[in-house]
Amino acid sequence: MHGGSTAFAPGVTPPLDDSCTDAAVRVTSVAMDIAFTPEEERFRAEARAWLAAHAPMSEPPEHDLAARRAFDLVWQRTLFDAGYAGISWPKEYGGRGASLMEQLIWYEEFARSGAHDPSTLFVGLNHGGPTLIACGSEEQKAFHLPKILRGEVVWCQGFSEPGAGSDLAGLSTRAVIDGDDLVVTGQKIWTSFAQIADYQELLVRTDPDAPKHKGITWVICPMGLPGMEIREIKTMAGGSDFCEVFYDEVRIPRANIVGKLNDGWNVAMSTLSFERGTAFLSEQVRLTRLVDQLIDVARHTPAGDVPSAPASALADDEIARRLALLRAEVEALRSMTYRSVSRTARTGVPSAEASLIRLFFSELQQRVFALATEVLGPQVLAWDAKGSPARVTARHAGAPSWVSHWLLAFSSTIAAGSKDIQRNIIGDRILGLPR
Amino acid sequence: MDLMPTPEQDAIRDSVRTFLETELPMSQVRTLLGAPTAAYAELWRRAAALGFFALGLPEALGGAGYALTEEMVLFEELGRALAPGPWLGTVLAAHALARGGAEARGPLAAVVAGELRAAACIDPWGGPLERRGDRVSGTRRAVLGAGLAEGFVVVDDAAVLFVPRGDAVAVQAVPSLDATNPIGTVAFHDASCLVVGRDVASAAALRRAAAVLSCADAVGGIARTVEMSVAYAKVRHQFGKPIGSFQAVKHRCADMAVRAEVARSATTYATVSVRDGAVDADFQAAVAKVLAADAYLRNSADNVQNHGGMGFTWECDAHLYVKRARAFDATLGSRRTQLDALVARLRSA
Repeated sequence: MHGGSTAFAPGVTPPLDDSCTDAAVRVTSVAMDIAFTPEEERFRAEARAWLAAHAPMSEPPEHDLAARRAFDLVWQRTLFDAGYAGISWPKEYGGRGASLMEQLIWYEEFARSGAHDPSTLFVGLNHGGPTLIACGSEEQKAFHLPKILRGEVVWCQGFSEPGAGSDLAGLSTRAVIDGDDLVVTGQKIWTSFAQIADYQELLVRTDPDAPKHKGITWVICPMGLPGMEIREIKTMAGGSDFCEVFYDEVRIPRANIVGKLNDGWNVAMSTLSFERGTAFLSEQVRLTRLVDQLIDVARHTPAGDVPSAPASALADDEIARRLALLRAEVEALRSMTYRSVSRTARTGVPSAEASLIRLFFSELQQRVFALATEVLGPQVLAWDAKGSPARVTARHAGAPSWVSHWLLAFSSTIAAGSKDIQRNIIGDRILGLPR
Repeated sequence: MDLMPTPEQDAIRDSVRTFLETELPMSQVRTLLGAPTAAYAELWRRAAALGFFALGLPEALGGAGYALTEEMVLFEELGRALAPGPWLGTVLAAHALARGGAEARGPLAAVVAGELRAAACIDPWGGPLERRGDRVSGTRRAVLGAGLAEGFVVVDDAAVLFVPRGDAVAVQAVPSLDATNPIGTVAFHDASCLVVGRDVASAAALRRAAAVLSCADAVGGIARTVEMSVAYAKVRHQFGKPIGSFQAVKHRCADMAVRAEVARSATTYATVSVRDGAVDADFQAAVAKVLAADAYLRNSADNVQNHGGMGFTWECDAHLYVKRARAFDATLGSRRTQLDALVARLRSA
């Protein structure tokens, strides 16, 4: 024994083995670990088996919103009946109350199964519902949470305005108290699924004289109230998922205020911190699957339109290296996600580092779809916005849905905090740089 | 599953960082660059007293009984401090000798005591080696830390050798881009050696350990480039404001932080995979190298940029990280080499 060996004495004596392999000298108690517990593996097996048996493998048409709503609500009801709805929601509100590790496993298995992602329900399940759980009254929770979980309602978001995008706190839609009502006048924009939604989480200015963060109120707005007008916005991807919503003296009951009057900024921040916690886990896991699908497409797609071109896009060295880099990057995305989940599991709160993952993910997703358009070559030219399915499901789904998703991915560095705002957040909050 | 550091790893990190801040502040790092071998002897003994070289060895062999994941923490700190000398070679020598027979116990004890610095000859540059029994002949070029070493771990296709430096070993130091990792040419002329690994698996195990621990060194350096840039951006004023308040600088720092997290996550995952003998350990190690090399090269360059004119000077430490990043990429299978290995994997799947 040398003097130094006592300096780093471990708390646990590891098993010794003459072969002295790396595994044999591994510390067995508390160690960095990529393996899941037997209970967690059991949950994985259950989830995998259930998804294989019950997940819908078809997709509703991307641009038929009524069909997407109906499809998503049925799928959500199926999940609810099997006990897989609201995987992250507490049990007392009807959720599964799954641990962070189980949530991670669920999202991994969900992505692996290729099951349809009910994106029209995202706001209800990941914004509205969790906000009510955190800040809502007992009546609000009792009325709304079961409807969201059971797949009975669609929620949309009313945060952004023409003059309040990255500077959300600068919003100017007014609400004046009149008896038991809030009377709302103004305009919201970029409201996904407003035309098929039942409720909207709405931010309104209730005190124009207070500092801008202090005069905002978070309110549940039933869609279709008198004075509301919805106009669809056609996007560069050809669809009209999102809308402008106009309010002309719309009367919303005061009982629909969530949290306190003028405390809506704090209520909204609880939503947004949730959004940057686990809500994006699903699409992060899904991206790995997409890269594997793209590699498969490259294997079966001719490399070019000249006789000397390699046999397939994958045989082209430049394309192949870029695919390999993307494969490495989605692998790192998983490692980052595991680190983030590990950190959150210890602290109990979403970590600021989630902004790092969010930024990396949003740009990586764009690189994946941009490379897809190169792999596909001239096939990208024939594209019918109305004809493509909602999601890339398999190689045989063909070029149109890759093209649609390449176009849709332009929004991934704009929505939910532009990449510029994400970099500000990283600079200000994680690195502590001066504002 | 848990990829955050354990309390014990935090304690190791604190202890190593304190040691390095005391023994190897940047002024001392610069003193050691180009210093004669003797200057390293005392440093090595003090590091040994803290257990640097025995961290991953079983207690029966005088080690601390930890594993590759704890050595990863050590190398992150060595990389962060730009510690000069053949640290990786010496730790790999401990790994290799621990797998040897009774005749390896003597040199192992010397390595653990900090009395024997070793360099690793893993990259195949210099042509084939010829081995007859316990004699080896051949040349290895661009061996990191060769001139400072008293022994050599030689990894061939299906063997791991330990060659003590003696009359039959000629070492020619070469002026080096990365002065913290000075290279040399090592020529073995029928030199006597210990054969401490006799199969493909033992050679592969040492390569994997070298791969992930070199990535850990890079992770430490990458993190340090972020720290340096952020610290400078807070105090350097232009136009009446700290330059870190300008989005051009702030966003560059944010991108550096993202790359640091990418490299650290990939390296951590790869290290655990190698430690546990996971089936995809080689794949994970290649992923870590590709991303850590990219992050180190880009972060070290951005760090020069963030320091402006000062960043271009010899006096500023930023260039030392640029050069260590280049040495990292160039050795143990470059980013490009690893990417091609990943390509081969995609094509054969």
